[in-house]
Formats: sequence, structure tokens, C-alpha cells
Amino acid sequence: MISPNVSVLDGSLFFTISLIFILLSFIGYFSFIFSGNKPIAKLSFVALIITLAIQTFAFAQRWIYAYKIGINTPPLVDLYDSLVFFAYVIILGFIFIRIFYDFDALGFIITLVSALALVFASFSPLAPSAIEPTIPALQSYWLLYHIVTLFIAYGAFGASFGLGILYLFKYKKESGHLKKEGRFLGLLPPSAIIDEAIYKVIVFGLLFLTAGIVIGAAWADSAWGGFWSWDPKETWSLITWLTYILFIHARVTKGWGGKRMAWIAVIGFAVVIFCYLGVDLIIPGLHSYATPGSTPVL
Amino acid sequence: MLSKLNSFFSSVKLAIFLFISIAVVSIIGTFINQGNTMAQYKIIYGAKVFATLYWLGFLNIYNSWYFIGLAALLMINLLTASINRFPRTLSAVFGPYPSFKEAAEKKSPKAVYESFESKQGIFEVVSVLKGVFGSPLKESNAPVSGEKELYYSKNSIFRFSSYIAHLSVIIIIIGVLLTVKYGFRSYTNIKVGEKTNVSYLIENNKPIKLPFTIRLDKYETKYYPDGIPKSYISKISIIKRHTRVLTKDIKVNHPLTYNGITIYQSSYGHYKPAAARLLVLNLKNRNYKRAIDARPGTFYDLKKENIRFKFTLKKNPKKSEVPFFIAVYNNKNKKDFQKLNFNILPVKNHNHKVPLIFAKYQNTVFLYNGIKNYYYSGVEITKNSYTSVVWVGSIILIIALFFSFFFNQQETWARLMPKNGGEVVGVEILSIPRKKFPSFYRKFGEKIANIKNKLNLI
Repeated sequence: MISPNVSVLDGSLFFTISLIFILLSFIGYFSFIFSGNKPIAKLSFVALIITLAIQTFAFAQRWIYAYKIGINTPPLVDLYDSLVFFAYVIILGFIFIRIFYDFDALGFIITLVSALALVFASFSPLAPSAIEPTIPALQSYWLLYHIVTLFIAYGAFGASFGLGILYLFKYKKESGHLKKEGRFLGLLPPSAIIDEAIYKVIVFGLLFLTAGIVIGAAWADSAWGGFWSWDPKETWSLITWLTYILFIHARVTKGWGGKRMAWIAVIGFAVVIFCYLGVDLIIPGLHSYATPGSTPVL
Repeated sequence: MLSKLNSFFSSVKLAIFLFISIAVVSIIGTFINQGNTMAQYKIIYGAKVFATLYWLGFLNIYNSWYFIGLAALLMINLLTASINRFPRTLSAVFGPYPSFKEAAEKKSPKAVYESFESKQGIFEVVSVLKGVFGSPLKESNAPVSGEKELYYSKNSIFRFSSYIAHLSVIIIIIGVLLTVKYGFRSYTNIKVGEKTNVSYLIENNKPIKLPFTIRLDKYETKYYPDGIPKSYISKISIIKRHTRVLTKDIKVNHPLTYNGITIYQSSYGHYKPAAARLLVLNLKNRNYKRAIDARPGTFYDLKKENIRFKFTLKKNPKKSEVPFFIAVYNNKNKKDFQKLNFNILPVKNHNHKVPLIFAKYQNTVFLYNGIKNYYYSGVEITKNSYTSVVWVGSIILIIALFFSFFFNQQETWARLMPKNGGEVVGVEILSIPRKKFPSFYRKFGEKIANIKNKLNLI
């Protein structure tokens, strides 16, 4: 009898398998923007739905396995967990947007970002997939709500980043700066529609970002005795929040048209990525996935 | 002058400038470690760089005058903007509502306008309009010309949500200020078995007196099978007027609150090296019994036996052997030195096999009874009675953001004018959305097509 491999039990094998489908989807969407072939986009969408299904299964598997080996926190704790979850919510976000808008051209950016996160999770030595016991600071029911709300926000901001890039391409063409008529630009909806989608996706993300920060503050208050400690991660979450709050206010300012809004959507996502990964990887020793927070020792 | 100042302080451009400035200052704060001591900074940056950073306020940037100033300016901006715009919103929601003419004269770039003529009677046209747009908020008639005007305002009540969102930010800031003013964050270390009523403020290490005494009854670290810490547990008793009021285990994420003061598990440590708990017995004298917590490397005198001994750890112990031994010295003859290895004897005790670990020197027996750790527990003691203000503000903020983001407002006017002596009705429809979204114009187009269809114009 073959003994079941750990990567099957903890779901990580399935995440790696889902990577194949994302890559297929990416290739499909990438060729779509040159060919404009609708059936290819449809097939890519199907591949993406399969990816989502596999990942949902993998998450369930991972959670059940963690529970079985005596770890009572959801598998959203370390860098690997968070990267695969990030890939997951980005795909989920795109699928939602795709239901409401005819945005097949967005597919290649979304699948690329999602695939990058999964490749990093699956192959980087910085993100081992083994389930480690949860340290005391993370043993809290706040963990699930905090991370899920924030990652829904991250997913929305990822989508707004893709939309922002599409807008900038389309805008260039519409304003006559781009002489050559590519097939890709013809596939995009008018820039005004992209602009509306950017706004809707960002306010959705901002709502969840606000809720996630508040939940984090409540957690910090119940775990460390203070709702705000100017920890770099906290501070960067504030900076992210300010970026999108700026987006909301700038819209009503004269002279801040769709182009600037699209740029804020693109830059905003860079801020999100720095808050999410940069703070852990670049600002040393203060806040990492293994030992979050500003707790003195624990 | 005053109106200029007012329009400066209430402008969105100032808000945008402040958002960017606060973000930039915050970024600096994340790259320069905050909250170290002066001495630590001097070591990290060297004296010259330290002096510059100190002068710039970069070492305590979130308390610097310019950071607080920017935040205060943002609050002024928020307040003046809200106050300036509020009367307009009030009238937009409760009236008096602007007429078609007033709205058309504003020439809003967001407005969409449609006009057509119908051969049907004015009342038929009104009933078709009501069928598509619903019942109007205001209906007015000009008696002489027979002109009719309908006014619609969709979701206008949600115009208040952005004010409520701004108000909630102020509530949060008030909560933060109250917490800073009337609360404290402090820490203290308590040794197991000892008590204290003094705690030290985190910001400046100043001691403060607590209204009760805390005793640490027990400290324990629990581990997972692979040695990773699972929980840090301190058994804390609250003592008031020499009476124990309550006892509770605290661990990370599970603090204890008493009289508005909360005690958090924060750190732990040893205040002296761990010791071996030894029981010294004499085989000939059954009444002789001494319990010694022997720290490695320290001499302990057994005067009755005329020996001194030292508990010592083995440098490279084999897996099968006990990793420590006892060095015994005779007090009379200094050269008489003996190294006592421990033996393991399995003993049945209540049907459990318990290893008896012992070493023997003549008539003296050393029984090894485990390790004694000298723990202290570091606890954070805070008082923040006003945190609830922050939470109330936060919840209002989230709800207000939801309503302000997802309920788009729009105003629509319809003007009906009998023409050619009542033969035809001229219909003009003007609609102004709050947000210039293609979806709005598309829906507007659909509604117009619907109306024209019902009036048999298509």
C-alpha cells in the first residue's frame, strides 16, 4: 500500500496542480488579446473555474488536516497560506467581475498576478508549505475574520490594478496618442466603462480594507493591550487606506479625470503589495509571518 | 479674506495634499525604527546622523509636532468641508427642491437631457412618466400656461452617509485622544510567588501605582510535541486590602480585566538559572531530610555530613546516560573528591513506572526530583476605558462607507408644456447623477426608450 504523501494530506499538491490550470488560462487569455478569439476566452474562463474548484478543495483539505493534527487555527497563518489565499481571492474577484462585465481582456493580468503568487508559494524556499503549529499570538478567533476581510480587499485591489492598466491603454488609444490600431484595444470596452468598474471595485475593496484594519485593531487591543502601536505593518495598512481614501476624494476634484484615477489604482496596488509582502521581506526583523505584531517577546 | 480662508480649509485639494503628506511622513517612520532609546540610536546611526535625525523628529515621528499638525489640519479640513457643504445637502434632501429651470441653468457636465413631443394628452403623458420613474417627490403646476413639472430624487437620503462617515472619523479621533489622556499602557515583571502594585509606563518607564496588588501564583509554558511553544500561562491573583479578590489564568489573547484595568500576558523569562531539585537523605538517620534547589556550578554545604557538593552538567552526555553528575568534596580532606553518577531505578508507584534517579555517596543519597525554574512573567497592564468610543466610531464608519459607496444618487426633472393650443405636449427630461457612470446613462436611455414606446413615438 502506498502511504499518502504529506503534500496530498495538507492540500499543497492540489495548489500546485491548480497552478497548471492557471497557466493554461493565462496562455488562453494572453492569446485572446492578440487573436480576439472568443472561444479561447471562454475556455480560459472554464480553466479558471476549474482552478477555483481545485483550490477550494485544497483549502478544505488543508483546514481539515490542520484540525486533525491538533492545530485549531485556520490555515491562513504563514507566508505559504497567505500567498495561495491571495491567488485564490484574486481569481474569485475576477470571476465576479467577469459575471457583471465583458472584461475578458482583464483575464491575462489577473491570471498572471495569481500565477506569480502561486509560483512564489509553491517553489520559493521562503514559503514552505508544511503546516506549523500556531504560535500563541495567532491563536484567536480574530485571525480568520482579520485575514479573510483583508484578502478580499487585496483581491479587489488586484482587480482594480488590472483594470487601471487596461484603462491607460484604452485611454491612450481614444485620445489619439496611439496611432496603430491593435486588436487588443478593440476588444476593450470604452474607457468610461472601465473607469466605472475601477471605482466600483475599489470602493468594494476599501470597505473590506477598513473592516479588516478595524478587526486587526480590535485583535491587537485584546491580545497586546493597545489598538494601535505604529508597527510597520499597521502603518503601511494606514498608508494603503489613505491611498484609496485619496482615490475617493480625488474623484470629486475638478481636473482629476479617469486617467489619474487609473494611475492611483495602479500605484495603490503597488502600495498593497508592499504592505502585504514588502514590509515582511524588506523592513527587517519587525514583523514577519512567523512572529507578527509588536509583542515584546511572545 | 475670511471666505478665501474658508474655501482653502474646506477644499478637497487640501485634503488630498494632507493624505499624501501623512502617508509620506508615515513611510519615513516605518523605515526608521521608532521607540528605541537614545543610547541605542547613537549606536545604530552614530552621533552625527543621530543628531540630525533627532532634530528632524524622525526618531519619534508619530509624536512629532508636524505629524500631529498634519493630522489636526486634516480634522479642521474635514470639519469645515462638512459644515460648508451641509446646508446644501439638507436642502437637496428635504427641499426646497430646485426647479427644472434652476437645474438646467447649472449646466452640470454630468447632466443628460432629452426632449420630445407627444400628441397624447398631458395627463396620459404624466401617467406614463409615473409608470417609468415612479411617483414624484414634488409635482407642480403653473395655472396659467398649463405647465407641469415633476421632480424625482433617488436615494437622496444617502447623501448624509458621507457626513456620517466623516463624523465617525472624528469620533474615532476623540476616542484615541481620550485613551491617550485618561488611559495608560504599562508593563511590569513579577517573579513566581511574588506580588507587586507598581507598573512602568511603556512610553517613559515612569512607575505608577496600581489600585490593587497583583500576585503571580504560577507560570507555565506549554509546548507542542515538536517543541514549538503552544501557550504561555500565568496564574494571576488580584489582591485588594490583603484579600484575594480573584484568580485567573491569563495567556496571550486571553487577558484579565478587573476594575477597568486589563492585564495581558506579554513575556516571560528566568531571573536566575534553573536548578535541580534534590532531596538529600541519610541512610542511617531516617529523620534526616534536606531539600536543596541546586544550581549548576554552585557549592552547597552539608555540614552534618562534612561534605560540600556541586551539581554539574555533563559536557557531551551520551544518549543513554543521565546528563549530569554531582561532584562531592570532603570538608576535612580537601583532596578527597568524587564524581557521583546518577543511577536510574524503575519503581512501581500506583501502577505507574516512575524512574527513581539517584546518586549515592557513602550514607548520603541524592534523589533527583526534576528541574526547578525561576520564572518571572512579564505582563502589560493597561487602562483604556474609552476604547469603546473608537469601536463605535469604526462601526459607524464602515456602515456609512457602505451606504455612501453603493447607493448612487440622482435627480430627475420632467417638464411638460402644452403647445399649439394643447394639441401636443412638449416633454423635457433632465437627469443629473452624483457619479458620472456609463451605467447611469445607459439606464437613462433605456427609460427614455420605454417612455417613447409607451407614448407610441417609436
